[in-house]
This record gives sequence, structure tokens and C-alpha cells, in this order.
Amino acid sequence: MEAGYLIETQNLRKEFGALVAVDNVNIKVKPNIIHSIIGPNGAGKTTFFNLLSGNLPPTRGRVYYNGKDITHLPLHRTAHLGIGRSFQITNIFPNLTIFENIRLACQALGRGNFRFMRSHKKFKEFEERSWEVIHQVGLVDEALFPARTLPHGGQRKLELGIILAADPEVLLLDEPTAGMAAEQVPELIDLIRKVQKAGDKTVMLVEHNMNVVMSISDYITVMHQGQVLAEGTPAEIAANEVVQSAYLGQLYGDLQVN
Amino acid sequence: MENTSPSPTRQNSFSDFFKGNRGILITILLLGLLPFILALFDGQPISSLLANDPGKSKFYQGLAIEIFILAIYALSYDLLLGITGLLSFGHAMFFGVGAYLTGIMLKSFGWSLLPILGLVAVAGVVMALIFSIVLPRVKGITFALVTLGIAQVFYIVIQSRELVNYAGAEIGLQGVTPPEFLNPISHRLRFYYIGLVAVFVVYFILKRFVDSPTGHVCVAIRENEDRATMLGYNTFYFKLAALMLSGIVAALAGAMHGLFSPIIRPGIASSHYTIAVLLMILMGGIGTLDGALIGAATFRLLSFWLEKWFGGASQVIIGLVYILLVLFLPYGIVGTWKLRGYKVKQGWVDLIERFTGKKQET
Repeated sequence: MEAGYLIETQNLRKEFGALVAVDNVNIKVKPNIIHSIIGPNGAGKTTFFNLLSGNLPPTRGRVYYNGKDITHLPLHRTAHLGIGRSFQITNIFPNLTIFENIRLACQALGRGNFRFMRSHKKFKEFEERSWEVIHQVGLVDEALFPARTLPHGGQRKLELGIILAADPEVLLLDEPTAGMAAEQVPELIDLIRKVQKAGDKTVMLVEHNMNVVMSISDYITVMHQGQVLAEGTPAEIAANEVVQSAYLGQLYGDLQVN
Repeated sequence: MENTSPSPTRQNSFSDFFKGNRGILITILLLGLLPFILALFDGQPISSLLANDPGKSKFYQGLAIEIFILAIYALSYDLLLGITGLLSFGHAMFFGVGAYLTGIMLKSFGWSLLPILGLVAVAGVVMALIFSIVLPRVKGITFALVTLGIAQVFYIVIQSRELVNYAGAEIGLQGVTPPEFLNPISHRLRFYYIGLVAVFVVYFILKRFVDSPTGHVCVAIRENEDRATMLGYNTFYFKLAALMLSGIVAALAGAMHGLFSPIIRPGIASSHYTIAVLLMILMGGIGTLDGALIGAATFRLLSFWLEKWFGGASQVIIGLVYILLVLFLPYGIVGTWKLRGYKVKQGWVDLIERFTGKKQET
């Protein structure tokens, strides 16, 4: 475990039967940056995320967070350490109101979870924090409607809000723009950047949209067939010949990096 | 329950309480007057009513007490299934243990009532802990089947010949003498009011639980357990809390049944009794608590009147009524009431479609 890194993986490996989804990945993530993971479909990006957040146990290898081994920590403990996670498929409470979605996230790390003979309305601090977050993600007008009534883009924002409510140090965002209409994407990207800057947070991002990745990231890791193909700043990655031939070259040959 | 928590806005929350529960408070008032109203229609003098003389009023008090017991039982199941989303097919065990423990302790060991109620509550917690062994390992239908298995074991044990002196095998436990002040024959009016108070105390306790931070997490678990875990909730403890509270309430409902009914039959511990409570909350409206009360009353009154009018054929008609209820009130009585009529219209359309095979214009 080297100093100066927030998250570090050591020889992380995940096998599904004969398939090696993540193959000896060593990644070091610096604090307070936006670190993206890109790669073609099936490169193991989401599996790698699941290993980081504890949704899946690795076959081999370790995950360190702040110098602490979190490899086999139960799922509900990772949130208490300051790791928030979003999913490729929207994962919210669809039948609860947007406000309640956020309020539950605030309550999770607070006190009073087992004060079962006291109204939840007596815990004002959660409600105040919830409204703060709802303002931040811009869902004030819809706050008291069930979350399922939101359009897809709104649900992605809500999911970001759920993660933000716990005020985590690290946000693991798995394709936050997946399925969003093209014109909504910049708004969400601005939001992520604003959140990252304002709170000195570390954001790890899995993303397919190349323009998004190149414009938002401070650092990029390219994965290919379960392995790390290249690492570097966006400019370095765009200039990397191996990456170009394996990935960018085929799909994003006309990409402009400024 | 409202004014037990000290807060600076106590006055305010007290009046809010009245405003928010107007329907329930009126129901309590009406049920409180019910024995007298019935006596009035029957021409029975008040003194005769207070002396618990036989008559229409006394008969319907008995029916109402049965509804109260079922309502408490249904409330406990609604907390488990409707609020927390745990499908248990072994809920009758809680009820059965409560009833049998009460009967056996009164008859064979001569305990007095308060220690028995304490014991029954403890038994409810212990059974919840037994269920909780499998809680983290299985989910959904598997949990239902495991709980069904555990409950069936109890159902078989309670009928065994080895316990015949205590539990009365398949005939049931007879000859239990409840304490004199609660005798359902000679002090039925008192039993009625104690039952009435018990229902609504349980109702308000559970309502408060659902409204508490803990209850909200239980709802979150029902809606999306994985997300709740990812937020940082150890969902096991919340499910255990709901299971324990539900277990205590169901066991106490069983204890009331043990005090009230002349014979404690093994049938109350069978899976039929779990299905019955499932029907009650489905009819009333799942996850609403009010629905459990209305469902229990509907369930008991339907089977009472239909049996009175149709005798042996009543089972068929009850089945038909259930089908109609599902068709017209898919969210139960209370659930559909909250949606205001929309689904009733849909039910007509479905019915016509089914008979004519043609799609109707809505």
C-alpha cells in the first residue's frame, strides 16, 4: 500500500467459471480527481466496479481504501466508510417519493435507525440535509412525487442524489449517462463535475461516451479483456497507439482531443 | 402512543393526532357503543346487558371479539408482509403458540394471567429468532417455504399423542378456565372492551412503528433491498425487528384466542390459518394497517353471514366473493379506496372481456 493513493487494488482477479472477467488488475486512484475506466464491451469494467464496492467477492487479490483492506467487508459497511455506488441499471426505490429516497440515504449513516417508537419527522436534520441534496441535483419541483414517475434522466440524477446524501468521499458511478437523451448528458456531466469540485470528492467513472470521458476525466484507465491496457491523462490516452488500435482506433477514429 | 414521546410541540401533535385519525377514532367510538345499540334494537334493558344476560347483543359481542382477535393477528402479518415485504407461510405458528401456551399454562400449571402474557411475548420473540436463523440466507418464496416447514413441525408436535395430556392431540385443548374477571361467558362485555382497546393499542403502536425511522427502512427493504444495503443499512436487523414485533403481536392475539374460545383446536396452527390471514390483508389492502382491520372484519362477517344464509354452499360463494374482490378491488378495500374508483371501472371491463371474449372500449 503506497501513500498518496485513496484506492488501490492488488492483483485483483475475478473468474466466472472458465471466464476471467478481471485479470490481475492493479489500479491506484489518487484522491480528489475524476478517474475514468473505459474499455470495449466485456472488458470487465463493471465487474471491476463490483469488486471495488464489495458487490462481488474477488477470486484473488485485495482492495485497499485509505490504507484499509476492504476486500471482504460486508456490503452495508462500505457505505459507512464513505464509498457511494451507482449502477448501470438505475437502482432507486421506485415507489417511494424522491424526497423519501434521499431521506433514507441521509438516515442510513445517521443516528436513530432503531428509535422505533418515535416519528421519523422528529429527526429534522435528515430532512434538512435531504432538501439540500434535492436542490443540488435540481429535483425540487418533483420532490414529493414517486420516483418512478421521473423520466430516465431524472432518475439518473436522483441516483446521484442518493449517493451524495451520505456525503461520501468516493463516488463510484457506473455509466451515469447510460440511456440518457443526448441533450441531457452535458447537464449531468456538469453536475458531476460541480459535485466533485465542491466537495473535494474522488469520482470513479465507467463510461462509454468518449466525448464525456475525454472532457471530464483527470485520469483514465483503459481496460481490455479483463486487463489494464493503458493508463494516463486524457491526452496521453488519445495519443497511445496501443489504445488507438485496440479501442479508439476502430470506434472513435475521428476523435478530437483539445 | 402519540404523547408518550416528550417534545416541545406536544399540544400541536396531539391535535394533529385527532385530525389525522378521525376515521379510526369515530370507528372506536361506534364500536364502543355497539353493544348498547344492539341491545337497544333488541329491546334488552341496560341492566340486563350489563349483567351479561344472553341475547342478540351478547351474541354479536362474541362475534366482534373474534374479529378483534383476527384483526390483531392480521395487523401483525401486515407488518411482516405488507410493510417489510417478508412472505412468511408460518405465521399461524405464532398464533398457535400463543393460544396453546396460554391454555396449557392456565390449565396444567395454574399460572395467573400476567406472567402468562409475559411468557407468550417472550415466546413470540424466541420464534422470531428461530425464523431469523434462515433470514439472511433465503429470500422471497424460499423463505416462505422454510417458514412453512418450521410451522408444520409445530402443527404436528401439537397433535402428538405424547403431549395429549397437555395439548389434547387432534381434538384440541379443552376445559381451560380463564381467570374469572375475564370469563368470556359471564363477563363478555368486559372482554369485549378489553379486546377493543387491545386492537387499537396494537394498531397505534404498529402505526407508530411504520412511521418511525426503523419502519421507513422496513418499507425501503420491501421496495428494494439491495439498494437499502448499498445505502449502508444492515437489512438483517431491520427485518429481525419487524419479525420480532410481528411475532409478539401475533402470539398475544393467540393468547386472546386461548382465553376466549372454549376449545383451542390445532387448526389454528396449521397453514390454513396463515392463508386465512393472507386473505384478510389481501382483501383489506396490503401494507395499509387499516386494511388489516377491515380485512379481518370482512373475512369473519362474510363467512358468518354466508354460512347463515347458504349453509353448506357457503364455501363456494365465499370463493366467488374472493374472485370478485380480486377483480374489482385488486389493491384491497382500503388500497382501492385510496385510488378512488379507477380500478373498479377496470374490473367491469375485465369481467365483460372475460365473458364475451371481446375487447371493450374504455
